[in-house]
Amino acid sequence: MNQSLSSLAAARRNHKTKHNQLPWGIVVLAAIIGIAFFLFANVPQAAIMWAFGIIIGFTLQRSRFCFTASMRDPVLTGSTSLTKAVLLAIGVASIGFAYIQHSAAVSGLPIPGNISPVGPNTAIGAAMFGIGMVIAGGCASGTLMRVGEGFLIQIITLIFFIIGSLWGAHDFGWWTANIIPKTKIFLPTLIGWIPALVIQFGFLIGLYVLANKYGKRSDKI
Amino acid sequence: MSEYTLDCLGEICPVPLIKTQKKLAALNKNDILIVSIDHSCAMKNIPEWARKEGHNVEIEEINDGEWEIYIEK
Repeated sequence: MNQSLSSLAAARRNHKTKHNQLPWGIVVLAAIIGIAFFLFANVPQAAIMWAFGIIIGFTLQRSRFCFTASMRDPVLTGSTSLTKAVLLAIGVASIGFAYIQHSAAVSGLPIPGNISPVGPNTAIGAAMFGIGMVIAGGCASGTLMRVGEGFLIQIITLIFFIIGSLWGAHDFGWWTANIIPKTKIFLPTLIGWIPALVIQFGFLIGLYVLANKYGKRSDKI
Repeated sequence: MSEYTLDCLGEICPVPLIKTQKKLAALNKNDILIVSIDHSCAMKNIPEWARKEGHNVEIEEINDGEWEIYIEK
């Protein structure tokens, strides 16, 4: 039965009028390297950001990684493959951040990272962002990646994403004064490094096991 | 066994997937559904869902940034 599908695909493949994108690829690659050298000569840090940006964007595009789908697909299709991928990514990032923050703490430097207060603002923001990203078809990185990929309809998402960010930044003083708690919570300073890491990875592993079970449960094969 | 087409060009995720789910539910066994998409993430979630449901699936890039998914119910 699979044979008929592949012969159908092969028959329709012959109709395609794809352009050879190799020349453009070479031009873009040359431009990327050229800009990297230009940046390195002027602002070395910007060259590193440029390189990381390109690498992350490329990985995001090729892997079809999507934070929106990681939260949406378990409900919509019962698939948890992206949910597990996100949990793995957070796990890897946690190891890196733990190392960077621990070394900073040991040498008495201010702890790097976006350490922000937790409160009702987190829940309100998460719910708003979650609803928005499912309707818009992408979170921040996903929208940027798809606009770059050539899916032009999401330029609308990008425009409103910029408007929303500016609006949020404009009103941030009000949120800080009225909603966001004053005290920042950083678990390692509160309960120690080992318990904090145990809690972090305990949650991640627990969620991974749950996601794995849920993904298998909805398998109908 | 007959062939059906579903045009999802310009539709943002998860709309192509939901349309495919609805369309496929209305078809008979062994019918083939051809879904046209240009949103790259539909290329991932439609085949994944269809394979989970136990259907045969093939994907073909028909043009630059335009794909067709073939699903056999």
